[in-house]
Amino acid sequence: MERLGVDGRGTSVNVDANRSVVCDLNAKYISYLHDCCDVSSTTFNLHEIDFLRIQAILAKMQMELRAELVLLISRSGQPIVISGSAANIDCTALASLAAANLAATDGLANIVGEREFSVLVHQGRQRSLFISDLLKRFSLVLVFDASASSGMVRYKCKRTTQLLEDVIRDFQKRMENANSFADSPQFSDEELEELLGQ
Amino acid sequence: MTFINYVAREINCKIVYYGPGLGGKTTNLQYIYQITSVENKGKLISLATETERTLFFDFLPIDLGQIRGFRTRFHLYTVPGQVFYDSSRKLILKGVDGVVFVADSQEERVDANLESISNLAQNLKEHGFDLEKIPYVLQLNKRDLPSAMPLEDMKQQLLVKGEPVIEAVATQGVGVLTTLKAVARQVLVELRKSA
Repeated sequence: MERLGVDGRGTSVNVDANRSVVCDLNAKYISYLHDCCDVSSTTFNLHEIDFLRIQAILAKMQMELRAELVLLISRSGQPIVISGSAANIDCTALASLAAANLAATDGLANIVGEREFSVLVHQGRQRSLFISDLLKRFSLVLVFDASASSGMVRYKCKRTTQLLEDVIRDFQKRMENANSFADSPQFSDEELEELLGQ
Repeated sequence: MTFINYVAREINCKIVYYGPGLGGKTTNLQYIYQITSVENKGKLISLATETERTLFFDFLPIDLGQIRGFRTRFHLYTVPGQVFYDSSRKLILKGVDGVVFVADSQEERVDANLESISNLAQNLKEHGFDLEKIPYVLQLNKRDLPSAMPLEDMKQQLLVKGEPVIEAVATQGVGVLTTLKAVARQVLVELRKSA
């Protein structure tokens, strides 16, 4: 698979800057992670109402772009909602590798003094891959026919990302207002023992 | 970040195997892969160098069974143990729910174990986690080697907070499942505690 390009957004920084500036950027990057990506949140609950909203958004984009597969994944590498035929693609592995890919790209951005590279495009002979950040906690992953226009893919993804951000913010807000763990699966010690006993 | 999918009735958790280079992290995953039935595991992905050293990570999704009607799916990751891959190690810890530290029992690896635990604590901190609070298991691997240090000495050196300590010989599968279940138990208890 040939890597075509990486698109960056964020503060422009002189990459020739000296080491102390880079260290400063590292600190800012870490602080930025803490501020906005909520990486240490312990649980994320997906209920049917949110699932259906997200699936409708993904399905619309999938249809418009005639994409093979569209996934919303967590930045820790778990597939959350999938739209499309996944018969010949291992979505669990795809989600894990896409998240790692985006994380590695973030690391690269940090090294060259960028805040982030929020979009990744890999173009192959038959299939291409588009990976985009979503609120630093999720990612949008598209598998599409290599003949599709990458400009159109970017445009549609940008719109879709905005719609998804609204949905995610909405249910994050709901989780904050309610007790986010109130409906976590409750199980007894005996059930745990039955699952993990020797 | 534990992900509870109420639509698919799944609990998804991320476990990271951490530790010094050549300590047996990948061997743990390989053994789990070998003994898990096809319907309860996904592909084992290894991003390794041409000499089979982990370059970025190994990944294995497994299903440990059902609890209260929810499938428990654990995504197991290893990190590259070699010191100079620190950036990669840091990335893999993103969204982690539980950590297994695979220590090398050989006397000559004492410093490597200590350095790696210190590195783990630092990298967790950068992601907003605290080693003192996160589900954590200490696996003492390579117990079969003649140069393996006494158990008590290793505990004295490596224990962080009274975590479960499991003696293992990962190449033979000894202690591998016990380790996995010990960390899975802590993760699920933590999830229940949050309720």
